[in-house]
Amino acid sequence: MWSSVQRWRGVALIGAVSAVALWLAASGQLVLYIHPRYIVFTVVMAAIALVLVVAAVASAASRRASGDDVPPSRRERALGLSAAAIAGAFVIGMLVLPPATLSTATAQQRQINATAADLETLDAASEADDKTVARFTVREWSGILRQTSDLAFFADKPVTDLVGFVAPDPDDPENVFYVSRFVITCCAVDAQPLGVPVHLPSWQDRYAVDSWVSVTGEFGANPSSSSAQPVVVLPDTVEAVEQPSEPYLF
Amino acid sequence: MPVTLETPQTRDARRASRRWGARHLIAAGLGVAGIIALIALRATTAESGPAGLPDAAQDLITLSTSVIIESLPFIVLGIALSILVQVWIPEAWLLRILPRNAWGRRAVISLFGMFLPVCECGNVPLARGLVRRGFTVPESMVFLLAAPILNPVTILTTHAAFGFDDGILVARLLGGFLIANLLGWLFSLHPEPESLLTGRFAAECRIEDGHRHGTRAEQTVDLFVRESSILMPALVIGALVAGGIQTVVPRDVLVALGSDPLFSVLAMMALAFVISVCSNVDAFFILPFASTFLPGSIVAFLVFGPIIDIKMLALMRTTYSARTLLRVTLIVALLSAVLGLVVNYVV
Repeated sequence: MWSSVQRWRGVALIGAVSAVALWLAASGQLVLYIHPRYIVFTVVMAAIALVLVVAAVASAASRRASGDDVPPSRRERALGLSAAAIAGAFVIGMLVLPPATLSTATAQQRQINATAADLETLDAASEADDKTVARFTVREWSGILRQTSDLAFFADKPVTDLVGFVAPDPDDPENVFYVSRFVITCCAVDAQPLGVPVHLPSWQDRYAVDSWVSVTGEFGANPSSSSAQPVVVLPDTVEAVEQPSEPYLF
Repeated sequence: MPVTLETPQTRDARRASRRWGARHLIAAGLGVAGIIALIALRATTAESGPAGLPDAAQDLITLSTSVIIESLPFIVLGIALSILVQVWIPEAWLLRILPRNAWGRRAVISLFGMFLPVCECGNVPLARGLVRRGFTVPESMVFLLAAPILNPVTILTTHAAFGFDDGILVARLLGGFLIANLLGWLFSLHPEPESLLTGRFAAECRIEDGHRHGTRAEQTVDLFVRESSILMPALVIGALVAGGIQTVVPRDVLVALGSDPLFSVLAMMALAFVISVCSNVDAFFILPFASTFLPGSIVAFLVFGPIIDIKMLALMRTTYSARTLLRVTLIVALLSAVLGLVVNYVV
């Protein structure tokens, strides 16, 4: 038992993880976990791993009894078996649980807009034409909001079809929510939540936290007294939409 | 361990069994079928809709999965290069290019990453391969510590993120080189360097001294089986712990410390330890923090993170003893903190 667990745990784990990675790539869901620029690398390496896994299984047909393994102590054996069991259980989870994006739990825990945006956004935005402004995502708007709360700046810049998931504003959860997106530089581990505050009293009645919406409206002074945000979107329309196939911004 | 003596009869039997036959094809077919079954299982379960887990648990799974998926290709690359070094490259090659003198040897070894461009997780199998190939334990550490920083991919991404601003790139490269060589020197003073390894790995190396068996193809498969069986559980558990800590420790606790010359350095090292992101891409990760944090703390993040973090400790534990890792962690932490402070106060 020990020796076969010892010998096959790695092959089983690397085979299962590679199979999951290939399936995720085929179904376009690898972007839930890593930046698109790593997709090709990941697929190639997973394929190599699977070829080696098949070779390992094939070579088992003529394997001599392994004589060169050091017999482990009881403690080592127990440790090794439980490590294999935990890892195995998690990888089974990777096989059966549906892939998911990060939720507001992580957005709250990482604090929306905690990181600074680069200063170029503001300059670029003040010169942008209407078409460009209409294409601004949560990333551009949140960057601008961090740098200015001057209402004159926002006067001729409406928000058009801004897509993101709903996360409550911790300071005034009744009236204000964030249209949020995670921005990813490498993989979901480094996801930074960004958000644009929207003022819409009793929004909870119509939109669930974590559900996806598309917001159109204008920026204006925040009517909420308890929210820390000086400028918010005063929405004309808020529509519930499907989660986009690439939920993160890259 | 039982030593099997080879008689002519057993050798013939072994050779006969090694010939590629129907049994192998059947076994390979079973392997392929197993992989297809796994993919089919994954495809059907994906339809089942949300699992109904609490958000935090779901995010823990997503985060850990993403660490595993992100590290997987690098681990495979690391194992492949390790097999290349151990099985396919003639021994003389590697040893011939090395200078005789110990400092020179370590300096050259710390530049190995320039032509073996794997990030930190791929380095562990490679470092294990080097020890099996007769490198000393301190030398393997020099490689393990320097290669994730002194490699072309890391240099390119760090340059893309920071350019030459604030001396971050230069401090990272010099700092990585100096810390690796200093640590290698410190451990080379150890009277019994083999005791730095885990008992198991040391025993494996002793056995392998001298004899290898099987064709190169067989050795390749054997090494793949052995390395993956040691590294994969460590990777999964490291990823789980890293994901778990991230769902529990609020990020703003760390960010609040950003502008103090001392605390920003410590906070960034703590962040590097927790986040366990790959050295090839950590520069992009830290870029958004660059305006709130002092340059020295960014350098500390970029030097400490590739060498020591939760995932790396889990992986390195397969090779080095816990005491060794504790010492390495302390020394590297101290040196990176000093480096960060120097950059903060001097540059």
